[in-house]
Amino acid sequence: MSANSWLATGNFFTTYKQEQRTFLTSLDRSFFTLFLVILFGWPLLFELGNKNMLVIDNILIAIVAVMGLNLVTGFAGLISIGHAAFVGIGAYTVASFCRTMGDSHIIITHFWPVLIVVSGLVGAVFGAIVGLPALRLKHLYLAIATLSFQMIFEWTIQFMTFFNQGQTIYVGRVFWFTGKVGRKDHYLFWYFIILTIVILLGFGIRNLLKTRYGRSLVAVRDNDRAADAMGMNPGLTKVYAFALAGFFAGVAGALHAYVYRGVGFESFTLHESIGYLAMAIVGGLGTLNGSFWGPVAIKFLDLQVETLAEIAGKYLPSSMNLATALKPFTFGLVIVLFLMFEPRGIANWWRITKSYTKLWPFRY
Amino acid sequence: MAHLNISNVTLSFGGLKALSNVDMKIEPGLITSIIGPNGAGKTSMLNCISGFYHPTKGEIYYKDKKLTHASPHQVSNMGISRAFQNLELFSGLSVLDNLLLARHQNLKYSFLQAVFFYGKASRIEAENRAYVEGVIDFMELEAHRKSLVGNLSYGLQKKVEVARALTLAPDILLLDEPMAGMNQEEKEDIVRFVMDIQKERNITVVLVEHDLGVVMDISDIIYVLDFGEVIGSGTPEEIAQNPKVIEAYIGED
Repeated sequence: MSANSWLATGNFFTTYKQEQRTFLTSLDRSFFTLFLVILFGWPLLFELGNKNMLVIDNILIAIVAVMGLNLVTGFAGLISIGHAAFVGIGAYTVASFCRTMGDSHIIITHFWPVLIVVSGLVGAVFGAIVGLPALRLKHLYLAIATLSFQMIFEWTIQFMTFFNQGQTIYVGRVFWFTGKVGRKDHYLFWYFIILTIVILLGFGIRNLLKTRYGRSLVAVRDNDRAADAMGMNPGLTKVYAFALAGFFAGVAGALHAYVYRGVGFESFTLHESIGYLAMAIVGGLGTLNGSFWGPVAIKFLDLQVETLAEIAGKYLPSSMNLATALKPFTFGLVIVLFLMFEPRGIANWWRITKSYTKLWPFRY
Repeated sequence: MAHLNISNVTLSFGGLKALSNVDMKIEPGLITSIIGPNGAGKTSMLNCISGFYHPTKGEIYYKDKKLTHASPHQVSNMGISRAFQNLELFSGLSVLDNLLLARHQNLKYSFLQAVFFYGKASRIEAENRAYVEGVIDFMELEAHRKSLVGNLSYGLQKKVEVARALTLAPDILLLDEPMAGMNQEEKEDIVRFVMDIQKERNITVVLVEHDLGVVMDISDIIYVLDFGEVIGSGTPEEIAQNPKVIEAYIGED
């Protein structure tokens, strides 16, 4: 073992197994544990109210979705503009169970963890199918193929009576060991559930990136000719990347259905797809922690803009509809500014901060 | 019996014949060089062997396996690896990860084991890391193990390219101009590695190279291509005497 397990300086390894660890120093591990304790502990100390908890749940769901998008677009370099449709597939998987069995069937209320996994798997299957063009298409052409899936999805939902033509399909309240989760605890309950899922999936990706299944994604992004020569099938790897993204999106969709207790098509439009892409870019494409920064930043920005618009609305004539104009304006501005000045996203700031503190207390 | 048997290979793009009726035999354990003027079809030949192009006519056999219509990943899994002429590295990854990627087929664990990174996944990763370290040691890349490949100098990137092909643990190593664009010192370095690869690791080397001095010095057998046809083959001494080769390189009297 190393001479100093707390700081990066003087921390060395004697076997390759030691180097595989997720946390290289004890300091990292302790900080992370503390962070988790805070994340799980704070709702017990403060009460935020349902409205704010919904915002936080929303961010966490977006994190799950963006983790998937980051795998396919950030790591594997395949632009997907149909990610909201995959999220929709997950949500409508839950919805179709509600339609066929009634929205308070025992499968929906008691076996919801199973249903979330099933939604993820259905998302993965659709992801693989939509990823099939990746066997032949590249770059922009592939992006257009995913866009067409988005269109097909929206059209199908809006025209099928089984899906209530895009109108809300209700989802029943779930049960926990303590009984039915009531109206008061609903968002708090889902906060803990989604947080757990985010952590599990996050560690899953972290592990995956250390293995052939993660490296092959980056290989097809950087150079798919060389990837081919190195003995991996680049076409299948791309399909697999889409399936992986579909799984995450499907899980996010199912969570969305449960948290909102209803599924309507307007949460899965092209607009949302672009939103996920923006979160991935602002957070940092091709980084795991970027998937966390992006949704937090964009959703908080949304919130701030809303408050700002409300305040401004009091002083301006109602004919100037500032609130509706301000949101897309700031959204666009932030993305343009990030693309211009920090294309590597917030994750890059995090990297810089970490490298500053790495050698502390020494300068180099 | 020859290791790699190329018989009567023709490759045409529309009206252009890149290769016509090429016959080659790559013998095990030797350094076989393919030389020729620009556009003679040397790289096309390597592309045919490694599966990036498929010959219009003719057959390629590796031992008794047919390679004619195999795709690149199938060819590399049979034990034929190649280094590219123009750098085709994974520039966003470290040297270590680049080499680990070449171990792809040897990392035999399931997806679920990878997600949880327990037991087999962790053990096999560590084993292959040890193998990769062996190659890093052999190619003297220790100092650059963790640096991003995109940030390395051209000469080093070329070296990583060769190292990566070597990490696949091939029987036959195809090197496409490994010394192009290098200075004398770096060239001598690579030549030393090529000879070591042949002698220490017992790997058959197929070398495409422009530097005639190098080719004449280290090759066991040379094939000369011109306008897609083999105009001469044999030991370096024979090639040096071959009037057709002299004509192709220097011109008529």
